[in-house]
Amino acid sequence: MARSHNPVSRFGLWAVFVILAVLPLILRGYQLRLVTEVIIFSLYAVSYNLLLGYAGLLSFGHAMFFGTGAFAVAILLEHFAGLPLLLAVTLATAFTTATGFVVGCLLLRVKGTPFALLTLAFNALFYAIAVKWSSLTGGDDGLIIDPPQLDLWLLTLDPNKGPDFYYLSLAILGPVILFCWYFTYTAMGRTVLLMRENEDRMRFLGYNTLLARLSLFTLTAGLAGLAGSIYSLFFAFVSIDAISIETTTTVLLMTFIGGTGHFAGPILGAGVFIYLQNFLSELTENWPLIMGVLFILMVLFTPGGLVGIIKGAAQWTASRRKTPDLRKGAKNRHAHSGS
Amino acid sequence: MPILEAKGIHKDFSGLEVLTGVDFQLAAGERFAIIGPNGAGKTTLFNILSGAFSPTRGNVLFKGEDISRKPPHLRNRLGMSRSFQITNVFKEISVFDNVLAGVRSREGLRCHYLRRPFKNRGLLERTDEILMQVGLENERDTPAHELAYGQQRALEMGITLSTAPDLILLDEPTAGMSRQETEDAVQMIRRVTESKACIIIEHDMNVVFSLADRISVLHYGVILACGLPEEIRNDQRVKDAYLGQDNQ
Repeated sequence: MARSHNPVSRFGLWAVFVILAVLPLILRGYQLRLVTEVIIFSLYAVSYNLLLGYAGLLSFGHAMFFGTGAFAVAILLEHFAGLPLLLAVTLATAFTTATGFVVGCLLLRVKGTPFALLTLAFNALFYAIAVKWSSLTGGDDGLIIDPPQLDLWLLTLDPNKGPDFYYLSLAILGPVILFCWYFTYTAMGRTVLLMRENEDRMRFLGYNTLLARLSLFTLTAGLAGLAGSIYSLFFAFVSIDAISIETTTTVLLMTFIGGTGHFAGPILGAGVFIYLQNFLSELTENWPLIMGVLFILMVLFTPGGLVGIIKGAAQWTASRRKTPDLRKGAKNRHAHSGS
Repeated sequence: MPILEAKGIHKDFSGLEVLTGVDFQLAAGERFAIIGPNGAGKTTLFNILSGAFSPTRGNVLFKGEDISRKPPHLRNRLGMSRSFQITNVFKEISVFDNVLAGVRSREGLRCHYLRRPFKNRGLLERTDEILMQVGLENERDTPAHELAYGQQRALEMGITLSTAPDLILLDEPTAGMSRQETEDAVQMIRRVTESKACIIIEHDMNVVFSLADRISVLHYGVILACGLPEEIRNDQRVKDAYLGQDNQ
């Protein structure tokens, strides 16, 4: 948890921002769509990691919120013709946040395995509702969306155009992901981390830990809902797949592959997952099999995920660079490695 | 008005009566020790005072307010703080952040979504002050699990002090310490509890007699005797029940 306000990370942030801003000039069509997808799934995975990596809560039900957001925006646009795009997204996110609050109230007192199982059960319940209530959700056929144009003062964005949608999702999701990063340094972000360490002690220090957990759960639900609503606008289509266990598994894989121990882990994981899936599905129909094996290998051998590997490599390089200075005495080396 | 008052505290654990009517009062600024043989109900009483569980019958009044059924976090916000017999710190987190958790709680900066504790100079200074008090100023950035045992006990004390309590509850603060560590701990406790009310549960009679202004002896769920250290030392009932058997 380094306080990354050093010039290097600030420069890095600006570099990423500039690259993202000019990307549509370099990438076209399909390639740009892949990047857009990565941005959408980045928020989904970042919100999941606030639960898993920061609060230590393993949820098997994050797709219920992603799916709720995805369906909410589709249903709103279908039933209310002329509803502005941003209002639809805002309403869908608000609705998902409220849903997260209700589910959170019911999960309030459980942690660990009971929490994981209950979230799985809730996800199954949400899925069943989506299947059965086909008059609203379209059932197995799903819903086709015709996203309205977005009129801002000077420019008009057409969500059906690749670059327009890319900028739209970047402008909405980028700041939200940045807020999530900021959040990990706020009082609430730190509280969540301390609660994972020792919730009992927190109660004796004046923290209402039940309320804090509910608050975090509601936040992550809302963030997943926002990602879901942009997702269904992006594909101009939503099906019950969005709310299925597979969509939960996807976010779990992304987060694990990237690494739960660092804020950027899930973003990296989302990128690798989507590009790998895209690459493998062109080679073979059995791509989920390869992804599965890869996942097993990663959990077994690199519990820190890709970020863990990168950190390890950086430390290794740093220690190699230092070695000549330390050859004078073994004691000295020991002191350095311990600090 | 006493700062803390226990009135007829009873506690049953599914039929097993552990406490059968405990009464006492604690004045502001007083150091009060509860002693008694194993199984006398000391830990149960301590847990009822700190809010880990509620009494079956009876009341606990803190600053005149009935807190018998208040959860621990609300008791802490009223100005009460407890330590733990088995060190109960945030192991993976730095010593500084361990103490900061309580310092910011006191200021109400617990679950804010925008404000960042490490940007608040006042909080950081207050945290450093507490680290000085418990002698951990050189271990600021050390993760708690890397501390030596005596230092972990000091951190336990630092966390307990971090919410600036008016009443401090100490559960065997010198448990598992060597003689030298115990002496240092007693001096530290005397220093940091200066002019604060304090309840200590302790097995080590040297610690009790050197710290407490007043002592209660708990025996089979009731208070057998209560008085100044000298009175307790010379009380025949106490000698029979406790002191004579296994101490001095």
